[in-house]
Amino acid sequence: MVRRHHEVRRSAAALSGALAVTLLLAGCAAERRTPAATGGAAPGVTATTVKVGGVLTKTSASGYSTKDAEIGARARFERANAEGGVNGRKIEFVGAEDDGQDAAKGDAAARKLVQKDQVFALVPVHAPNFGGAAFLEQQGVPWFGWATGPQWCGTRTGFGYNGCLAPRKGAGSQTWWGRQMADLLGGAQGKSVYVQTTDSSGSKYGGTTISQSFAAAGFELAGVNSGLPAAAPPPDWLPYVNKIMTSDGGKAPDVVVSVIAGTKFNVGLYSALKRAGYRGVLTDATSYDAAILKDPASAQAMEGVVAAPMFEPFESTAPEIAAFKADVEKVAPGATLTQHMAIGYWAADIFLDLLAKTGKDLTREKFLATANGGYSYENAGFGRIRFPQDHTEPNGCGALVKLEGGAFKVAKSMKCFDNVPLR
Amino acid sequence: MIAGYILSGLVTGAVFAVMGAGLTLSYAATGVFNFAHGAVGFMAALLFYQCDRAGLPPWLSALLAVGLFAPALGYLLHRAMFRGLARAGETAQIVATIGLTIALPALGLLAVDLLGLPPADATALPRGVGPHPAAALDVLGVRLDTDQLITFALSALTAAGLWAFLRHTPYGLRMRASVDRRRLATLRGVDVDATSALAWMLGSGLAGLAGVLAVPVIGLDATAYTVLLFASATAAVFGRLRSVPWTFAAGLGLGVVQNLVAGYTDFLEEVTGLRTAVPVILLFAGLVLLNRSRERVAGSTAEDAPPPDHLAAVPLWRRRLPWALALAALLAFTAAGPEYYVGVAANGLVLALIFCSFVVVTGIGGMVNLAQASFAAMAALACGWAYASGLPFFAAILLGVLAACAVGLLVALPALRLGGRVLTLATLALALLADQVLFQVDAFSNGTIGWPLPALSLGFADTSDPRVRVVLLLALVGLAGLLVRNLERSASGRAVLAVRSAPAAAATSGLSAPRAKITLFVLASGIAGLGGVLFAVSKESITATDLPAFSGFVWLAVVVLQGVRRVGGAVLGGLVAAAMPELLATWGLSAHVGAILFGAGGVVLARHPDGVLAQFAESRHRRRLRRQERERPATPSPAASLVVEEPADRASPAVEREEPVLFRLENVVAGYADCTVLRGVELSVRPGEVVALLGANGAGKSTACAVAAGDLPVAAGRVLLDGRDVTAWPAHRRARAGVLLAPEGRGVFPGLTVDENLRTWLDDPAPAYERMPQLAARRGVPAGALSGGEQQLLTLAPALVRPPRVLIADEPSLGLAPLVVRQVFEVFAELRERGVALLLVEEKATEALAVADRVAFMRLGRITWTGPRSEVDADRLTAAYLGVS
Repeated sequence: MVRRHHEVRRSAAALSGALAVTLLLAGCAAERRTPAATGGAAPGVTATTVKVGGVLTKTSASGYSTKDAEIGARARFERANAEGGVNGRKIEFVGAEDDGQDAAKGDAAARKLVQKDQVFALVPVHAPNFGGAAFLEQQGVPWFGWATGPQWCGTRTGFGYNGCLAPRKGAGSQTWWGRQMADLLGGAQGKSVYVQTTDSSGSKYGGTTISQSFAAAGFELAGVNSGLPAAAPPPDWLPYVNKIMTSDGGKAPDVVVSVIAGTKFNVGLYSALKRAGYRGVLTDATSYDAAILKDPASAQAMEGVVAAPMFEPFESTAPEIAAFKADVEKVAPGATLTQHMAIGYWAADIFLDLLAKTGKDLTREKFLATANGGYSYENAGFGRIRFPQDHTEPNGCGALVKLEGGAFKVAKSMKCFDNVPLR
Repeated sequence: MIAGYILSGLVTGAVFAVMGAGLTLSYAATGVFNFAHGAVGFMAALLFYQCDRAGLPPWLSALLAVGLFAPALGYLLHRAMFRGLARAGETAQIVATIGLTIALPALGLLAVDLLGLPPADATALPRGVGPHPAAALDVLGVRLDTDQLITFALSALTAAGLWAFLRHTPYGLRMRASVDRRRLATLRGVDVDATSALAWMLGSGLAGLAGVLAVPVIGLDATAYTVLLFASATAAVFGRLRSVPWTFAAGLGLGVVQNLVAGYTDFLEEVTGLRTAVPVILLFAGLVLLNRSRERVAGSTAEDAPPPDHLAAVPLWRRRLPWALALAALLAFTAAGPEYYVGVAANGLVLALIFCSFVVVTGIGGMVNLAQASFAAMAALACGWAYASGLPFFAAILLGVLAACAVGLLVALPALRLGGRVLTLATLALALLADQVLFQVDAFSNGTIGWPLPALSLGFADTSDPRVRVVLLLALVGLAGLLVRNLERSASGRAVLAVRSAPAAAATSGLSAPRAKITLFVLASGIAGLGGVLFAVSKESITATDLPAFSGFVWLAVVVLQGVRRVGGAVLGGLVAAAMPELLATWGLSAHVGAILFGAGGVVLARHPDGVLAQFAESRHRRRLRRQERERPATPSPAASLVVEEPADRASPAVEREEPVLFRLENVVAGYADCTVLRGVELSVRPGEVVALLGANGAGKSTACAVAAGDLPVAAGRVLLDGRDVTAWPAHRRARAGVLLAPEGRGVFPGLTVDENLRTWLDDPAPAYERMPQLAARRGVPAGALSGGEQQLLTLAPALVRPPRVLIADEPSLGLAPLVVRQVFEVFAELRERGVALLLVEEKATEALAVADRVAFMRLGRITWTGPRSEVDADRLTAAYLGVS
């Protein structure tokens, strides 16, 4: 027993000794190693190619998927390559990693793309819980996509294709939704609006910005409710619908805005509202999705809904949209167009424009200097974008489509409005 | 309005009720709490959707999914997993079903991918069983749709059917009997295995029904089904995990409460998530208030005996060698490997550090904590918040770890009162509360953006370099290892082990169970917290969604799969968890495959509850044993005792000639695990004969009874009934063949009524009442409420009406009044007249000797003397009991 105890002590001492030595060795190794990217060619850039890859939420527990953004980005890059590339360099698109809507996985995916695959930039990044922002900002790697979360905002490397959609208090906040809606309804005077969100801080934040947008357009706010459970649609809509139907001084409001992502949520809410006899306008940001029309019950619930996409609708006659459709058709023949495709496409488009404007001599530092040094670019597909301004606020542009007779129709084409400071 | 909320809440509650009823039913009947119950519902809903999309009519799709697929899945899981789990420890049970929660939906979604079926994601908009789109109807002034009406009608039908099944069919009676006393049910001829299979099929069918009914509302979303499981778990908890009717009622009530909360609590709107969390809060309250564990205290898992240390004989250096080599290889890789992969290894080691907390709380303490991810997140967020508020970095880290410790302390307090699964459910509720409420507080988590953190500087290098992280983490994991070892070897560690394996004994030895448990919980939370802070430091930021509660489940599955009793398992688990996504990506496999692999670990666990590392050691041990066996020259087995070869049976040749032997134990060797109790027992009983088996406490009498009834397998020897070898027959089959054991203590089902108790052996209990009128008066009373004497009569009454061929009575007079004892022995005398072969086992000889024809003395697992009653005198008795001859 005594011997055994002695042995234990000795091995413990040996263990800690070994650890101390290795700690020192690693320290030396770290000292010797100089920081990456010292002069010479930028990572991922050769004389003839620029390597890029993206991070998407391809799969998630909830079924939410942005995987179509990969098709959109690929379509745009193929066109650029077919036109001879940018400054003599073709785009080598390595595809997109899946973050599974898990922040830690997103961080790992960003590290893999930068450290292992050695990409120059991350295009497209379209993941609601993207966790790689801190790493990319620290490494100075540009990333392009849909800036729905605050991790994008205030960075110098994160480029939302339509700006930062999660501005801080005091920064600019969008008014286009309310104003476009006012235009559509022939003025906001005397019209009331009710905003429904879920019980999560992200959705509540959306409720604040959107109520402000409608208030700025002259609507009267009948109520903002954030009682809906966030994880799954409520099995019973009755309490929520009752609140809405009596919110405008005992009457139903003229407009109901749903700040909920998830078709099941919206279909549930709209059909419950219609069952209760609601006749007003329904609007949300996510229902512009052809897949909904395949299901008769959903199509019925969605009939008359005004969706608010942040890009020019696919039904538009603009030449940019015709090009977009042709490009997608080449990459994914017969694919149904989705908003994620458009987001991937326009994010890639802005990246290519910046690449061209940076010039032949390409490094990340130069690229970021160009992007953040008073950059401005207009395109009918997504309105306009300006950096560094749009690092902290949305670009202020949006369109409206309406589902009529089982088909989406352009209600309002893409238009940009001035932002107002977020309260 | 309030009436409307209540009515429409009942409809919602119907889904919770159906799912909760399945949960309670399967738990009560099998002892396994199925965390994967929601996942089964998801699978049924998925199949329903796919059948519907394939063009089948909805009623047929629903019938296929609920009536065929879900029960079949239940049966399959029973065969593959649950059957083995019923005998595994509690930890393995919990982890295995959690693994299943992860694996089942992944399996379904992978199948959908591979077969090219319509995708089951957010774009899938499944319909209900009723008309599509659902039509609206006015019921009592409330507007409902046809789907809701169908849900309510089907739930009501299910409730009625379930009640009728459980109360009025023999299957239901058998199921309730095996719920009440599993072992006794076997002895009454109930095939407990078949009953469990039935319970799983029914439970899965109910889950499937709830899944299909819920799918038009919540969509095909596996997470939503997990949420549904929590709501129904709340209902099951209010049914105390035993009562199906109460579970049903609680489910309905929960639906109403949710509606009322949604309708009338706008004042709670400021606290984000609080209203969503109402079922979770109720779950927590229900657990703390209602579910005090009756058998065991505070997560002490007595059946979780530590596995034998198969490597004990191996020299220390040889034990350490593989780990030393692996460490050297890891360090070499760190020095020379590409930065990205070193970073992956560093992430694996962060996880390993967090996993060390499982070793402390589960491996040593025997408690299962599902909130470990929340502890890590809490510590990291607290650290980030403190650093952002201007505290020095090291102080912020310390504060984060202390915050985790403090929360651990808070959880440990209710843990003192709760046992096993209840504690696990409570930690689960806590994890969900943290996710849904605490982490939604913007001031704490800084919204969705979280807190940035700097790299940790060690003076000569900092943690932005993954090499430094690997070495730092190795040092910390090494420290955690030393801590765990000291914990196991120190006085306090031994106290913890004592509390775990025998709480009552530990308490009487003056060990404080609460203090030991609090220490463990707080220590584990601190380790998890440190791991969480390092997670944040290596990522250089932390957000509230980085470490979701659900990842804690996966972690637990990974660690337990590797072996939760040693730090080695934690390290291996961490590295595996970090490397798995890389490997899947490299091989181009779907992420579902990883989930399926982790979940499939549950099946492995059902067989090897101590994980793969212990499994390696054990198979090595077995190999060595076999080798030794071969090398040893053939010698007669030491167990085959020679003493018994000369049984004194021949002393009564007269009896032998009259009747052939009906029941016989032939040279039986048996025992428990490594401890042999019976060392060659030879015993026979003839029809119409009473054999008294006498012996001192510990002689092996009850073990002999168990072997005779088939309750305990034999290692050698045979059991013969009427000349047929029944050694391999399970207990229920022997009972059906007429071998009835009245076990030590009382052989009644305390939760069943007197009437139902009789029905477990008799088709019609009326004759039993004629024989024992005192029972007839109490036919509707639960047997547990009878006096000891009445219980013993109730045990024997069925035998009087339908006499078995062999009756084995283990200590039938124990603790009974003399008057009752006489009555009991009158029953034996009558049975002897009717030709039953009786084996009476008694410690007190007087009564048994009065009725016995022959007597067998037992001592130290052997029959030392057998002979006719007439040859027994005081000297023989003394010799038998004192072991002198």
